[in-house]
Amino acid sequence: MATDYAPSMQQAGVGSLHEKKGDVGMDFKLTEEQELIRANMREFARQYVDPIAVEIDENSRYPAEVMAKLAEGDWMGMPYPQEYGGAGVDYVTYACVIEELSRSCAATGFTLSCHTGLASGPIYYFGTETQKQKYLAPLCKGQHIGAFALTEPGAGTDVGAGSTTAVLDGDEYVLNGTKTFTSNGPVADTFVIFAVTDKAAGTKGMSAFIVSKDTPGLKVGEHFMKMGIRASQTSEIILHDCRVPKENLLGKEGQGFRIAMQTLDNGRIGVAAQAVGIAQAALDESISYSKQRIQFGKPISKNQAIQWMLADMATDIAAARFLTYYAAYLKDQGQPYSKEASMAKLFAAEMASRHTSKAVQIHGGYGYVKGQKVERLMRDAKITEIYEGTSEAQRMVIAGSILR
Amino acid sequence: MLNIVTCFKWVIDEAYIKVGASRELDLEWADYKLSDYDRNAIEEAMRIADIEGGTVTAVTVGSSDATKGIKDALSRGPEKAIFINDPAFTDLEPSQTASLLAEVIASRLQYDLIICGEGSSDLYAQQVGPRLAELLDIPCIAFVSKLDIKERQVIAERKMEDGIEVVTAPLPALVTVLPDINSPRIPGLKDTLGAAKKSVISIGKEELTGMAKPHLETTAIEAATMERHCIKFNPDAEGIKQFVDALLKEGVMG
Repeated sequence: MATDYAPSMQQAGVGSLHEKKGDVGMDFKLTEEQELIRANMREFARQYVDPIAVEIDENSRYPAEVMAKLAEGDWMGMPYPQEYGGAGVDYVTYACVIEELSRSCAATGFTLSCHTGLASGPIYYFGTETQKQKYLAPLCKGQHIGAFALTEPGAGTDVGAGSTTAVLDGDEYVLNGTKTFTSNGPVADTFVIFAVTDKAAGTKGMSAFIVSKDTPGLKVGEHFMKMGIRASQTSEIILHDCRVPKENLLGKEGQGFRIAMQTLDNGRIGVAAQAVGIAQAALDESISYSKQRIQFGKPISKNQAIQWMLADMATDIAAARFLTYYAAYLKDQGQPYSKEASMAKLFAAEMASRHTSKAVQIHGGYGYVKGQKVERLMRDAKITEIYEGTSEAQRMVIAGSILR
Repeated sequence: MLNIVTCFKWVIDEAYIKVGASRELDLEWADYKLSDYDRNAIEEAMRIADIEGGTVTAVTVGSSDATKGIKDALSRGPEKAIFINDPAFTDLEPSQTASLLAEVIASRLQYDLIICGEGSSDLYAQQVGPRLAELLDIPCIAFVSKLDIKERQVIAERKMEDGIEVVTAPLPALVTVLPDINSPRIPGLKDTLGAAKKSVISIGKEELTGMAKPHLETTAIEAATMERHCIKFNPDAEGIKQFVDALLKEGVMG
């Protein structure tokens, strides 16, 4: 893809200033497949997402028609093996796709990354073969939508403070409690739900369960009207004597905290990519607007004040993108990536918030009006600093890692 | 069962061309893409193959920069590709491209129907299709906006300035298609991954009898410019008179 937003060095060797130095041991080039996949998602987003992005934000509407198209194009189980209906692509490709989709609509990008990373991820990494066939395959094929229910009213960043319980009764676990801010909650068919099975054991007493939406005792509670990513559906999940078959325990009893943390590490690559997409869209809009907005007889892009804002935006976006792809690359290489995913998420989220605000500033009064993309981008960016681990939680992870 | 051949060109994406201070084109950072109307050609080949049965082969002429283009084309459905590939095969003029395509298609492929885009996104010379048909000595139908096959006849609607012309031709035939003919698919994830596994036959310069000399010489390429003025007129009788005078002077009205 073009080098204004992809770390491609494919043109190296063209012209005397870009003499190729041979194999330099560090490759920033996407493969041809990755470039084509990115371009196809860009075209997909332009064709199917751009035309509805304003409306689904305004009405807080779930874009079911886009999700169906994503399923048709095999985009719903990107990183998982083909035997489960996935496409088996690497995480760098996954990050490129989430970024491009989020560039058109962050809510749609997040609906997909929540489905893929948060809901399908734990089933793939911790599920039994039977669980994968039964639950992962329909998720990968896009026949089912997934959600991840971890947060509770009293347990946000402090995951271990969860009070939802699961008690084994015969061949079933009985779940009781309330989950909140469950993304995809109102539209999900399959939930990964966390509950305490042994209160005395602290975080080692938490377990994860796969729960179908039609399980008696599971109810979708209040739908939240959000400031941004309004087309992403968020609700409470109320569990009242919800009886889940014993075989739906994910991993072993007591592994829940570990499953949640690993899933969030993984999910952070998706949120970082989403933030990069949002910021890129803010830059796209700002370049185009500043070139055509005439004040004092010339386009405002001729003013150094605007140029510096644009230059800072482009620089931070490039830095965030490299961090994101690097975390994805480490995961693809089977190396530890938790610290890098946190760094990518932290940096990308904060720079997206900062620069979408600058983009509104560049647009002036027009940027503050509903229907202008930058207005939506500014609202959408904020959540990336909050969910799947706040910026403060990311700093805890990073500090913990470097102070070891 | 039809043997369908579709030709495509891997071109510079015009969205990334920058214009320099003295109107020269800066192509250094330009990305490439599958020429727009060639996407319609490939889509139409797949649509006809779905209805009539048969195989689709995609063919291109270019240098090894075009390998991504081959994957792009194959991700849109064709079973295999032929890559007429040599470092010398860049910036060819249409007569040269047509002669290379004709030699390869005539000597290595069975064909009933050849579909090309009406013109390429870069030069839009609209020459390769008709020249290829001429060299293969088969009928050529250009400006096609609707295509059907019936009893080994092509039935094509040609979109002309003053209406639609419906023509038929016996197979084998060549058609060049307009973008109105279909909406090209956006390849899904597995389509792109699957493309790398399809068969690509690469044919180098040494396997061909030679390339005709160019008839044209490119002396320079410069960006077109549009002269624009901003003149303000008052909304009164005098202003309107000045407005009309200005239009007459600029030759907009006369």
